[in-house]
Amino acid sequence: MRTNYRVNSGVQFRMLSDDQLEELFNGVLHILEYVGLEVKHERAREVLKKAGAWVDGDRVRLPSYMVKDALAKAPRSFTIYARDGNPEHDIHIGPGRAHFGPGPTCVNFIDVETMERRPYQLSDVPYVAKVVDSLPNIDFCESLGSVDNVPYDLSALYEFVEMFRHTTKPIVAWSFDYYDSNAIHQIAVEEAGGQDAFEKRPTYIHYCEPLSPLISTTDSLNKLVFAAEKRIPLIFTPCPLAGGTAPVTPAGIIIQAAAESWMGLTIAQNIQPGNPFIMGGVLSVMDMSAMILSYGAPELSLMMAGITELAHYAGLPLWQTGGCTDSKTFDEQAITEGSLSVFFSALTGGDLCHDVGYTESAMTGSVFQLTAMDEAIGYARRITRGIEVNEDTLAVDAIKRVGPNGHYLKDEHTLRYYKSEYWLPNLIDRTSYEDWTLMGEKSFKDRTIARVQKMLAEYEQVPLKPETEKLIGKVLAEAEEWVKQQED
Amino acid sequence: MSEILSTISTLVIEGNFGEMVDKTNAALEEGLGAEEILNNGLMPGMDHVGVEFKAGNMFVPEVLRSAKAMQEAMEIIRPMLIESDAPTAGKVVLGTVKGDLHDIGKNLVGMMCEGAGFEIIDLGKDVEPEAFVNAVKEHKPNILGMSALLTTTMRTMERTIKALEEAGVRDTVKVMIGGAPVTQDFASQIGADGYAANAASASEMAKRFAG
Repeated sequence: MRTNYRVNSGVQFRMLSDDQLEELFNGVLHILEYVGLEVKHERAREVLKKAGAWVDGDRVRLPSYMVKDALAKAPRSFTIYARDGNPEHDIHIGPGRAHFGPGPTCVNFIDVETMERRPYQLSDVPYVAKVVDSLPNIDFCESLGSVDNVPYDLSALYEFVEMFRHTTKPIVAWSFDYYDSNAIHQIAVEEAGGQDAFEKRPTYIHYCEPLSPLISTTDSLNKLVFAAEKRIPLIFTPCPLAGGTAPVTPAGIIIQAAAESWMGLTIAQNIQPGNPFIMGGVLSVMDMSAMILSYGAPELSLMMAGITELAHYAGLPLWQTGGCTDSKTFDEQAITEGSLSVFFSALTGGDLCHDVGYTESAMTGSVFQLTAMDEAIGYARRITRGIEVNEDTLAVDAIKRVGPNGHYLKDEHTLRYYKSEYWLPNLIDRTSYEDWTLMGEKSFKDRTIARVQKMLAEYEQVPLKPETEKLIGKVLAEAEEWVKQQED
Repeated sequence: MSEILSTISTLVIEGNFGEMVDKTNAALEEGLGAEEILNNGLMPGMDHVGVEFKAGNMFVPEVLRSAKAMQEAMEIIRPMLIESDAPTAGKVVLGTVKGDLHDIGKNLVGMMCEGAGFEIIDLGKDVEPEAFVNAVKEHKPNILGMSALLTTTMRTMERTIKALEEAGVRDTVKVMIGGAPVTQDFASQIGADGYAANAASASEMAKRFAG
């Protein structure tokens, strides 16, 4: 028995003080109360007005008690489940748990066979889902692209179907609007065994994106209202550009992004109190020469750490960002930017870190970047897991046994711990020069490509239920009809 | 060259829009013509800014302040230029397409084109195909520029080009498109005349099209 003994489980990382966080928190409340947002959704405005908001045309301002009430209603911890009941694929969101996965909607994809950059095709979705399913440090699935070769309005629906078929890991599903959100939900509900079963064990998260600065767009709120009504866990994540669509200072962009996300939170919690809500967004700088939102800038990691700390201070999980790069090719820049942001994200304990595998500033998705980052995440996770200190790990007995001038190689203490204390690399090479030569002088890049090919070759599908496949056929056929009607 | 013209160039380069109105009026009082102020004061300044931006010595916030300085002077001299029938670079109608509320890129293109001497008719964001058609009919621009940031709204560009065809005015303008998800392939596919990857190349393309 110990008294007043403190244990640090993992690495301690903290950037902002309580005072600074309180100041940011009050800054967000101030924006929502005195500036307000444009809420381009009649139903949402009605819900907010009824709950005490000031509504003037599209402009909605929230008294701070409404925001605090919404924060109190939203859970900090909840679980997103694997569709096949495999507990190893469940995601338990809560303090000190960082999870990782790809991002959505890149225009291009690095072809898995030719390694060439080209438009993202429907046949690419299974590749991404299979790689996600196989990688030990990738926890949730997004598709790394917008499907180019199906009817435009249905690309998110087709994408979901292919992800759902090819991984049992939880999915973060983006969509255009109400129609495809509803179609996606029908499919997930069928697999879960009904709406009630889905609510108890949700298998996907619904992704919505408001617009910076300070606009809750109609389509983002159509989706948010739908998710809240169906009790689907949801992400509401703006993508402000520091210096462009948000203040250039980290503190400024953080409070603006939080205000944008918390408007969604307040709407959702008034429709469905207690619905799991994951705060956004993606914060980075607009490069003032190239005019792109930088996905490899140190400011991205810094700002994301700040908003993660604010989210946790307010009692919400955060949609983190990392493992991405501005590089156009699979090179040193891609690995440096991706690895550093992954490590920083892991340190913050940001709850779901997405965009792993983004290259070319989010224009091109790459399973090679994703696979390389799986290694970086494993590396980072070993460090963030920290050092366990107890009687057994102190190893005084082992030290006594071995004594001066001995060795620990065959000691039972070594045998007992080496697998759990060591991180075993998959891609990083530590062989001797001679062995490395014998194995063909392969680079990290060569080994990453080989690993992707091996995973794809060895992948075993856990099929969806036959009734779900039947429903998918029906839903897609109806959707194709719907698109035709839209065009007429 | 007169000292006041060199001062005007410097104001453009420094992005000092606060003093531009005074200096432009001073130049006019000295008896300089609007065309001379444009060609020997404002344009050399903007040309310098363009070169420095390309070289990575100036950045977008500075370029925008320079464009704003140029705008201040243009407000004063544009009516005179029109009256004197001085040759201008041409007219550009700009807008972010329907469904898209992202307009920062489009605004940049507008400012860069204005810096290159074009008259800009900015239709704003979330612009319907019909509104583009009407603007083309009304203003008879040399160039129509459309932008979209979202993959979801890119298609509206194609609809707009079709609407121009249906209205019989497609051949009267060069259509330029841009925005993060837009590519040269997409531009060719929907029958646009040009695709520009950024604001600086958009203004260069506009000059080529209008020239």
